[in-house]
Amino acid sequence: MDFVTMNILDSAMVSICREMGITLMKTSYSTIFNEALDFTCGLADMNGEMIAVADYCPAQIGGMPLLVQSCLKEIPIDEIEEGDIILHNDPYRGGLHTPEHTFFKPIFVEGEIMGFAVAIGHIAEVGGMAPGGFCGEATEIFHEGVRIPPVKIVKRGEDNVEVWKLLLANVRTPRVNYGDLKALIAAVDLGEKQMRGIFAKYGKAKVKETVADLLLYSEKRMRAELEAIPDGIYSHEDFVESDGVESDKHHRIYVDVHKQGGSIIMDYHGSSPQAAGPINATLGVATSAAYNAVLHMTDPTIPRNSGCFRPIEVMAPPTSLVNVDFPAPEVGGNTETHPRIVGTILGAMAEALPDRVMAAEGGTHCNFVFGGVDADTKEYFACYDLEAVGWGGRSFADGNSAVDSINGNCRITPVEVYETRFPWIVESLALDTDSGGAGKHRGGLGYTKQMLCVNDEIICSQMTDRHLLAPWGLNGGQEGGCGATLVMKDGEEEWKTMREAYGKASTSRFNNVSIRRGDRVQLRMPGGGGYGDPAERDADAVISDVKDGYISKEAAAKYYNYKEA
Amino acid sequence: MKFSANGYYIESYQKCPNCGILMYANAEEDKAKRVEHNGEIYCSQRCVDWSIDRDARRAKAEA
Repeated sequence: MDFVTMNILDSAMVSICREMGITLMKTSYSTIFNEALDFTCGLADMNGEMIAVADYCPAQIGGMPLLVQSCLKEIPIDEIEEGDIILHNDPYRGGLHTPEHTFFKPIFVEGEIMGFAVAIGHIAEVGGMAPGGFCGEATEIFHEGVRIPPVKIVKRGEDNVEVWKLLLANVRTPRVNYGDLKALIAAVDLGEKQMRGIFAKYGKAKVKETVADLLLYSEKRMRAELEAIPDGIYSHEDFVESDGVESDKHHRIYVDVHKQGGSIIMDYHGSSPQAAGPINATLGVATSAAYNAVLHMTDPTIPRNSGCFRPIEVMAPPTSLVNVDFPAPEVGGNTETHPRIVGTILGAMAEALPDRVMAAEGGTHCNFVFGGVDADTKEYFACYDLEAVGWGGRSFADGNSAVDSINGNCRITPVEVYETRFPWIVESLALDTDSGGAGKHRGGLGYTKQMLCVNDEIICSQMTDRHLLAPWGLNGGQEGGCGATLVMKDGEEEWKTMREAYGKASTSRFNNVSIRRGDRVQLRMPGGGGYGDPAERDADAVISDVKDGYISKEAAAKYYNYKEA
Repeated sequence: MKFSANGYYIESYQKCPNCGILMYANAEEDKAKRVEHNGEIYCSQRCVDWSIDRDARRAKAEA
């Protein structure tokens, strides 16, 4: 291996991926891209193996190889021409969920495809039953928006206008969608152009050889990491609460982690059958979650590419919560079930790697989505609003507060932008005292965002979790605080759940609730579980937490034997 | 246009009962590895063996 060239090429390709992401961020129309950064940009070889990726959304990073490989099964490589761009979002064909749109463009060098530039982004409005793409009560895929099998949206450098017309006729915000889709195209255009520069500088043979070495290097380092973990079968279970359809029925995620030498297999057999509501994960999600969990437990300096994933296998039974089949709904699988799968794997590995796993994190992205006609501009707006959670305590530190769930790595939209773009006033946004589970290292805190509706009507939907089942603690740590979504109608003085106010089956999953001018909504995000016996917590840390308002005096006395001086 | 046996898809595929991976009708290299076991099509003999081992292991644990 030529380590010098390999290192230079790896850094150059990662830099290209980051540049693709910055282009996407700066040219997109939606806050989900230009503020939340809910996208990933990468590069793949001609077999669909990911050769470089930027540090954006982990759910999409792990999903990328299967996505590209599935597309190549349906559009053979000899049918792809220079200047083509392929679009795909089909959850049953390697996709992650309906909003996740994947674009990839071939990198032609001297008439030969040498790889692909890939961009995956969460389009905020995709049609379907509820504005904003998350129909919390969906019972079939057709409620969840437009499903796009692999199609050429650009052919030989020219827009495939028929495809554009079809897509934009089926969403509520065509102007914004056009801008976001074009931003994704700009990203793959840039990636393709920059990679052609790399090929021109080093030559096809050298790049091909070095990339093969790079993947092998990542594979070897990952296998070495896995070899250091004691062999065995490690098991764990966790539950997704409700599915928005069958009230308060919990759905099991089960995993046997088979660790043998330099390989690891996640066997999900024993998980619940696929649910009636939209919490089902696709095969892409189940695979991505396995990769995500392993990456969290191993050396973060290993170059991120498909080589890292070679030692990891997944056994995901069809027609189950972790491998949905047509026509069952799936939109929440990528946001809610993914972090629960990761948590289940981390829970299983707690026995073997107590210093590398954390207690349960909040494990939801909130997914409060809304839309309506702006009273001032008369234009239809739609938003996918993601919020953050508290992370679990670790063997060496408290959990982080208000961080996006483990598969997102996204940012919260700043209040100023939120209020400018959408007809809400954010009245408060503050960490919730006592929402972090008690422990030697306590869980991170969740928070509450309170909003006032300043439009005649906003149609709201949600797909979240952890309203009923709290994030678990580890090694003696306590549970984190649950989340909640509450509404106070104009003129009333009582906060109510969506079940109490609108008769919904679930408090955490619902769609098409009409919020009127003067109504208020509270989004309460869960905290993380604690790690270790609270009695062992450093006394100064307890005093500091009380002073900062992270824990109340009552909780400090209850869990930490705190006495006011 | 080619429709799958169940009429849902333009392209047809099925999933391996063990690992859950897509098995496309038109992928010749995949077809060669497929194995029929207990009336179901698996993507490979390894998945058949894994499935048998899992059932045996779990039955033993429950006994």
